[in-house]
Amino acid sequence: MKTIISYVGSLKEYFIYSFLVIISLIMVFQNDNVQIRFMRAAAVSVIGLVQSSFSVIPNVFQLERENRNLREDNNSLAIELSQLKEAKLENLRLTKMLEFKERTKYPMVSAKILGKTLIQTRNTITLNTGENDGIKVGMPVITEKGLIGKIIATSSSYSIAQIIFNKDLKISAKVQRSRVDGIIAWEGETNLLLKNVSKSADILEGDVLITSEYSNSFPAGIPIGYVTSLGTIDNLFKKVLIKPFVNFETLEEVFVLKNLSNEERQNLEKKFLGK
Amino acid sequence: MQEYIKYSIVLLILVIVQKSLMWLIAITDYQITPDIVLIGLVYIGIKKGKITGSVGGFIFGMLFDILSFSFLGLMALSKTTAGFAAGFFNNENKIERYLNTYIFVLIVFLCSIFNNIIYFALYFQGTSLLFQDIVLKYVIPTALYTAFFGIIPIILTRKKIIGR
Repeated sequence: MKTIISYVGSLKEYFIYSFLVIISLIMVFQNDNVQIRFMRAAAVSVIGLVQSSFSVIPNVFQLERENRNLREDNNSLAIELSQLKEAKLENLRLTKMLEFKERTKYPMVSAKILGKTLIQTRNTITLNTGENDGIKVGMPVITEKGLIGKIIATSSSYSIAQIIFNKDLKISAKVQRSRVDGIIAWEGETNLLLKNVSKSADILEGDVLITSEYSNSFPAGIPIGYVTSLGTIDNLFKKVLIKPFVNFETLEEVFVLKNLSNEERQNLEKKFLGK
Repeated sequence: MQEYIKYSIVLLILVIVQKSLMWLIAITDYQITPDIVLIGLVYIGIKKGKITGSVGGFIFGMLFDILSFSFLGLMALSKTTAGFAAGFFNNENKIERYLNTYIFVLIVFLCSIFNNIIYFALYFQGTSLLFQDIVLKYVIPTALYTAFFGIIPIILTRKKIIGR
């Protein structure tokens, strides 16, 4: 009997452990009684108090995660904002262009500029419209602000236009107010030059220049620019500098006028000059 | 008796700290925190044996359960087992060695594995998590993180701040 008691005594640790495990298991399966709720309420108050006292201390790892997420959000929002700004600006431009298209009598095709050169002597722009859209060589290119140039080459989907800042392009123009005629050309400077203007011609600074009906390439009345300065070349001619209405550096969309010069008139003039 | 009161106060403080502050150093997407109550329990288990370890585990595990809003008795069960397991290292001749060296970290890791397997396996009962997922995402990371914190009592013991 003594041996049994002694043996059982040596196992008391296991009995206690088993007893505690059984109690724990019973509790696991019988949760949420009233006494426990009351104790929980009191305990939660204590924990809450301690937690609120230390709530100013940030969790470094959580902050890092939050920071990373915020940076990602920030990036995507910045991209979205930039796209929205871009869309808004495009919308404004297109609205102006649409208004212009509606009040113009010529049939026209809108085109987006895919590329441009502005630092050479023969500057051009590349457009995303071509023969498939009815574009032909010689068609004028304009915007709602004024003249851009004319088409000089086409493919099925693209076309290239020489712009007024191109040494090869000469434009018959006239002063809108006084109807004085001249030839607009570009000689490599920042402004255009109105040539063949006699010293006595009635031209003032600020006068607007438009395409002339003498032009074989452009319909009459398209605004080109305005007079910025007046000088003299020699005893016979004035030096008239013109600033175009269009800012070529920020230009993105244009219209191609489906208006070719009168072939009969061209042939007659060629024939006459040939003689 | 005075010694047991001292241990009880320490464990009580550890429970409060565990519940209120440990979330500050939670890591991984699964919010793993070190179990400092277990570290204290293992220390007491090694020092005082299986009965103290398991009873201490039961009482303070139960207290922990009360403070939590999960299964009542679950932490008591796991901590009882962990404290009991720690008691196996209660060897009169080796206590100092166990508590003063990095063997203590290994014992904490082992007891933490027992504790975590019981706790998380029951806690995630009825969810879609597989047992191997529970082990890889919760059991082992928590045991490693807890073992890392097991260095603290060694340092404190060596500097004779505790264990006198």
